[in-house]
Amino acid sequence: MLKFVIRRVLWTIPVLLLVILMTFLMMRQIGGNPFRTSERAVPPAIQANLERKFHVDQPWWKQYLYYTQGVFTLDFGPSLTLRNQSVNDIIKQRFPVSLKLGGLAMLWALVLGIPLGIIAALKQNTITDYATMAFVNAGYALPNFLIATLLIYVFAVRLKDQTGLPTNGWDDWRTWILPTIALGHAPMTIFARIVRGSMLETLQQDYVRTAKAKGLRWRRVVGLHVLRNSLIPAVTAAAPLLGYLITGSFIIETIFGIPGIGRYYVLAVFGRDYSVVLGVTVLLAGIIILANMVVDILYGYLDPRTRDTRT
Amino acid sequence: MIGDRRRADFEATLLRTADERGRDAGAALRRASLWRDALHRFTRNRAAVVAALAFLSMVAYVTLTPWLSSLDPYAVDFSIAYQSPSWDHPFGTDQFGRDLFVRTALGGRVSIGIGFAATIAIMGVGILYGAVSGFVGGWIDNGLMRFLDALYGLPYLPFAIITLAIFGTVNFWTMVVALTIASWFTTARVMRGQILTLKQNDYVRAARAVGARWHRVLFRHLLPNTLGVIIIFVFLELPGVVLGEAFLSFIGLGISPPKASWGTLAQEGYTAYQTYPYIILIPSLAIAWLILSAFFVADGLRDALDPKAKQKAA
Repeated sequence: MLKFVIRRVLWTIPVLLLVILMTFLMMRQIGGNPFRTSERAVPPAIQANLERKFHVDQPWWKQYLYYTQGVFTLDFGPSLTLRNQSVNDIIKQRFPVSLKLGGLAMLWALVLGIPLGIIAALKQNTITDYATMAFVNAGYALPNFLIATLLIYVFAVRLKDQTGLPTNGWDDWRTWILPTIALGHAPMTIFARIVRGSMLETLQQDYVRTAKAKGLRWRRVVGLHVLRNSLIPAVTAAAPLLGYLITGSFIIETIFGIPGIGRYYVLAVFGRDYSVVLGVTVLLAGIIILANMVVDILYGYLDPRTRDTRT
Repeated sequence: MIGDRRRADFEATLLRTADERGRDAGAALRRASLWRDALHRFTRNRAAVVAALAFLSMVAYVTLTPWLSSLDPYAVDFSIAYQSPSWDHPFGTDQFGRDLFVRTALGGRVSIGIGFAATIAIMGVGILYGAVSGFVGGWIDNGLMRFLDALYGLPYLPFAIITLAIFGTVNFWTMVVALTIASWFTTARVMRGQILTLKQNDYVRAARAVGARWHRVLFRHLLPNTLGVIIIFVFLELPGVVLGEAFLSFIGLGISPPKASWGTLAQEGYTAYQTYPYIILIPSLAIAWLILSAFFVADGLRDALDPKAKQKAA
């Protein structure tokens, strides 16, 4: 197990380097000097100094090495459009907001999605199952900008007097409710589906039949044998779901006017603040890579058979 | 459900006379071809048939409406701006008084067009990558797969956005390229798995044994047998791509007006949702319609083309 963990942890390093390289090269293709005179007009001598300070005058591979060094020391460089702000400052300001929103959304997805999946599986091919899965499938197919807009329209516009929920902002718990539901919806449907599928598979297993045959009460069979074994696949779904959350946060934060990193990313793309785009992309990719690592190690711990294949 | 069907089959067999059975025994097998077999199974799956009809009707709506309708989707007439759905304008009108029934169809052409083009591109790249990796094997396979592992789980939206920024403009083809670059990994991985499994088959070994060259083995024996999976994957990829395009359009990286996709229509509707909520509702429901129907078609195709997988799961 220890060998597996070490191997898996070491493997993230080349992966991270590769992803930084890819993003870095893609960003370079956009072209342009980071210190465009259009945004910060400075004398030529200072311009040259700036370029030297941030290694813009070096060949690209040296710039990549400098940038990578920066990333590993958690320094993402300066912002191109905001004076006196580094990418680190922007991340420090905005990332906690996104983290909180993402965490709440994940919680919502777990708390609602897993029970829905369990209920649907235990009542397979009944009206409960069909109704649950219809709800889940509809939720999966509806784009999250529609869900967000409908939530706002119903609860913050139409029922404003009853609920007192605001349409946008990120101040107190009242402003958290609607974005959390809107963002957590897609992961919720995915959890429900995965849990239902793996529950159905587990229910077919011989040990479940044995447990039933030896007279164990059904509640205990489900609690002791079925749930434990079918919730493991839900763990593996967590890392890809992070991708969903990140993608969703771009839209949800824009709609609700939440000052998070997703909204700023979109603004940075339009404002051509490419060092922010690069930095945030690398940060998000890094989070995903680490999450994949944690999930793999967790899975290797829960199911030793997978240790060889998941390096 | 399956048990019922099996019992019905069994009883039908019992009812037939020995005579009939004797005649059948001599006749050629009726459902010999894989594809006829699959079609038969597909048409007996009610959910899949309904989904296929829903999918086709959506495609028919977006292709036919702009031809059949006499309304000009680009004509601006402020006197009829923001009309609720009515007989003349089944989906209402937008802020410029343009008919949304026709515009939604036109938007669907763009969305579905981008969807199919990107899906085909994704399949092309994925098949090539996966086939090379699975067929060649060895350290090349190892390297290619490690590269895919590295990309696994990365959020596609940032990479699609960066690709669009590299192009500098957003049009049909740049959108296709951006979506392709951002989402070909899964297909490549699945294709490699398919090729690896198929390589173990006796007919491949037999072909090799009688001296077939590698390209004959690959193009004649391996790739045709992945066709079923490829068709299923087209319907699995399409929803993701359509949704990705809608997301990009919604945050403002869509095809420029007056042209529109479902995403840009939804974005236009979003700006007026407090007073005219139907405008965002219609393109969003169109997206949901397409995604759901494609999803169930994929489900039905999987059951039809790969019945073994179903038996394993059930």
